Amino acid sequence: MWAPWLLALGIPAALGAIMILGATRGDRGVGPLKIPFGFVILMLVIGFGAALTLPATEGPLSRLWLGLPARAAIVIYGIGLLPIFVLPIAYALTFDTQTLSAEDVERVRELARVNQAEKDMLATPPQSVGANEARKRRDKRMAE
Amino acid sequence: MIAGTGVSALLQIALPNAARPAVVAVGILYFAVVLGISVWAARRTNTARDFFVAGKGIGLIALTVASVSVSVSGFAFIGGPGFIYAVGLGAMYIVLPAAVTNVMGAWVLAKRMRLLGEARALITIPDAIGARYRSRGAQGLSAVAILVGIVGYMATNALAMGVVINSIFGVGLGWGIWIGMGVTLAYSASGGILAGIYNDVFQGSLMAVASVLVFLFVLNFGGGLGEISRTILAHDPTFLGPWGRLTPLAALSFFFVFSMGSLGQPQAVHKYYMLRDPLQLKWYPLLKTLGLVLVLLLYFSVGVGVKAFVLSGRLAPLASPDQATPALLLNVTPILLAALVFSGVAAATMSAANSFINIGAAIVTHDLPIAFGRRVKNELRWGRTVTVLIAIAAAITAQQSGTMVAFLGIFGWGLFASTLVPALAVGLNWQGATRAGAMASIATGLIITLALETAAYLKVFSFPAGVTASAVAMVASFLVFFIVSWITRRTASTEIDPDVRLVMEL
Repeated sequence: MWAPWLLALGIPAALGAIMILGATRGDRGVGPLKIPFGFVILMLVIGFGAALTLPATEGPLSRLWLGLPARAAIVIYGIGLLPIFVLPIAYALTFDTQTLSAEDVERVRELARVNQAEKDMLATPPQSVGANEARKRRDKRMAE
Repeated sequence: MIAGTGVSALLQIALPNAARPAVVAVGILYFAVVLGISVWAARRTNTARDFFVAGKGIGLIALTVASVSVSVSGFAFIGGPGFIYAVGLGAMYIVLPAAVTNVMGAWVLAKRMRLLGEARALITIPDAIGARYRSRGAQGLSAVAILVGIVGYMATNALAMGVVINSIFGVGLGWGIWIGMGVTLAYSASGGILAGIYNDVFQGSLMAVASVLVFLFVLNFGGGLGEISRTILAHDPTFLGPWGRLTPLAALSFFFVFSMGSLGQPQAVHKYYMLRDPLQLKWYPLLKTLGLVLVLLLYFSVGVGVKAFVLSGRLAPLASPDQATPALLLNVTPILLAALVFSGVAAATMSAANSFINIGAAIVTHDLPIAFGRRVKNELRWGRTVTVLIAIAAAITAQQSGTMVAFLGIFGWGLFASTLVPALAVGLNWQGATRAGAMASIATGLIITLALETAAYLKVFSFPAGVTASAVAMVASFLVFFIVSWITRRTASTEIDPDVRLVMEL
């Protein structure tokens, strides 16, 4: 009896947790994303909970919601379709501030250029001062 | 998303002979377009980076359609509707997570994988694990895990291609396998992932068009979803219950494996490296989710529609649930639509096979040598050679033992999920993860998945109430990952290079 409830509560918690882990940016946390995250986690809990608790009254005279009986409609539309109109749009709307900006990409590219320069220097003869400094930096990092 | 379960389900059936002039003509046209794209791509493939990650990258729309294409196998067209026909709406829990998984993957993996590609010019998933934990061992172990999964996928996809091509052209299963694998090999070996991507774009578009047309046809033929539901409710109300004929535990177990497990599927995750401009990730989850919804319309509409048509006597009872799609196509829909769907099924299996061939070749020529402290000198030439060898091995295996091949195909999705999700998806976002934790988790996922799936296959042991072995293996892998990382937490901060740390902090 209790086992499905563990999953019905655990799945939204696990999915919410991993999305929060992925979307968190330092001290800023998830910022405005807490609203769509909360909404979708709640939708999943309500959807699974309703499917587990509502009585099985499906029959030929059942009222249909967009072509499906109530419990099926909650699952198909509430769990399967509604999040599509919330999460990907929230992702796109917050992308520049919360996920990735042109400055972020440039920082990574700059570090890649520095690393490449270090590698190139390491490949040069050992009398090069730059190469020796690069080696020292590398050795220090390895020692850590 | 459902590439894993798909092929094995497709193997359980023998598709009816659909070799009619229109079906054969559309089939030939389909293969001609695939070969044309392959010739074009081969001329643009000059380096190993071109071969494995499409060189300077792919545009947003092309990558999105290609990603949809590799995420869906023949299961969405044949096995899936049959599964719904058999167990009702409970079968939807395999595809319902699609509403969440693409955007979840974008937040958890896409940005970091793409930026790691930018910082280190990485080309494989084990590359990312090796860079994250500064460990050749972790890279090698994850490569072995992926390779084990690919062995199963490739054999099952080869057999699935044989089944579909035999159905379209009536050439026999053996020839079907070699024709399908030969065409896939032609574009995999010549044009690498570039040919694969643009063929995926064509194949994904074909699948989406076929799926939408079938969906509209079924609704029209059945008098709308409401009328279809009323017919089913009059005869079999459980079918339209929230779990169908599955137990709640089994349905939720599917949802868990197919949602969380999506973060470890190399054929989809590998695509993140290929996006030309990282900033284009902004619209990727929305476009991919919408694309998947279109392709999965057939899954739902055929499963539910055929049930109603059989119950109302408009369609003869099926010999087996997996005949749902073929029975609808060959008895009810216009033959051109049937031809389009059969080519769509061939497209789905070939697209998945190509993707796995490419990933397997990269592991053999790139990751495993690195794990042993060596580098292959000419990765492009060896990549092409290994591609040919993998394809031939898969075709030969597919012809050997149907039972063994079906077994190999069962555990692919779960194996990728249990071995890669903690180490890759959590590891790239949590600086407390350690090399020891990652390696223990990958090993745990590999051993437990193989042990439980083998026990279930041999009917020695299976979990009650339909709980899947994959779900248990993934939970075990997570637990080991967190426990070992906590025990070895003192090493965590020393195992991350500055550029990787920057990527993790952004």
